[in-house]
Amino acid sequence: MNNKFDALKDDDSGDHDQNEENSTQKDGEKEKTERDKSQSSSKRKAVVPGPAEHPLQYNYTFWYSRRTPGRPTSSQSYEQNIKQIGTFASVEQFWRFYSHMVRPGDLTGHSDFHLFKEGIKPMWEDDANKSGGKWIIRLRKGLASRCWENLILAMLGEQFMVGEEICGAVVSVRFQEDIISIWNKTASDQATTARIRDTLRRVLNLPPNTIMEYKTHTDSIKMPGRLGPQRLLFQNLWKTRVNVP
Amino acid sequence: MSGGSSCSQTPSRTIPTTRRVVLGDGVQLPPGDYSTTPGGTLFSTTPGGTRIIYDRKFLIECRNSPVAKTPPQDLPTIPGVTSPASEAPPMEARQNHLQNSPEDKPVCGEESQFEMDI
Repeated sequence: MNNKFDALKDDDSGDHDQNEENSTQKDGEKEKTERDKSQSSSKRKAVVPGPAEHPLQYNYTFWYSRRTPGRPTSSQSYEQNIKQIGTFASVEQFWRFYSHMVRPGDLTGHSDFHLFKEGIKPMWEDDANKSGGKWIIRLRKGLASRCWENLILAMLGEQFMVGEEICGAVVSVRFQEDIISIWNKTASDQATTARIRDTLRRVLNLPPNTIMEYKTHTDSIKMPGRLGPQRLLFQNLWKTRVNVP
Repeated sequence: MSGGSSCSQTPSRTIPTTRRVVLGDGVQLPPGDYSTTPGGTLFSTTPGGTRIIYDRKFLIECRNSPVAKTPPQDLPTIPGVTSPASEAPPMEARQNHLQNSPEDKPVCGEESQFEMDI
């Protein structure tokens, strides 16, 4: 796990296409410096709820990333391609951002929205994520906007009831499908992951035959990115066929 | 969670040891709504202390507050994401998005939202 941008780029999700092998390992130290620089330059003063606003349990930060078309996804280009959109502390501040961003279904190209608790980077190697994993749901085209909205509203409203476990959520817009995922801290905590799965079923109103996959970030690092949908089905992760009574 | 919207601060209490709930015949257990249990809400008391819980309906109602409609001052300009991909002035798109959003947001509750062909 010496290249965190590689890891993030290869994340899940719909990355079953070209260029995955082109990434080169970069000098870790150099990268760390660059990263710290970009972090400090984007530092802002503490975000707090305004008067008469409804505070959230946690502050959250919106991120956006996009793969540059036609270029190998080196870690450097990935770094340039992930952007912080902003941090909010209240329900109203959330809507200020959300209402002025396009919905995921209207994004073009190979793009992701990430919504993570403030202070947690949407990267596997972040301290909050390194022992974690994520539930993944693959969506037919046309469903991402609604599912993403339901997912993040549930997260912001603390509907998952798993204490501090939730780290953030991602929607990945890909060529033939879209993917939403929710990340938690402790992949080995089965009570937590089961509760997250059940809450996902409820808040997304998933049909009974929906396949949900749980993937630990360690596995994602070991097997980055080249898993197409078919291959993923055969992978022995927590694959659950949901049955609604 | 099965009706009106709620915005609640749950108080911190000790976990109740035993609780007896009598179910009559024909009581419908709500499958698919894990937050509601017969006789009360299962997780209304969170062991870790106070948590701020909002349901979807309440959050969506907040969208109409004046603050929520103002773009954040520090919103970065990302063409195609926070501003139009084309040359159109940013404000126009923002207005459009605001106007469009009420009706393009599906507010369907119980009906099956989609089918998935996996």
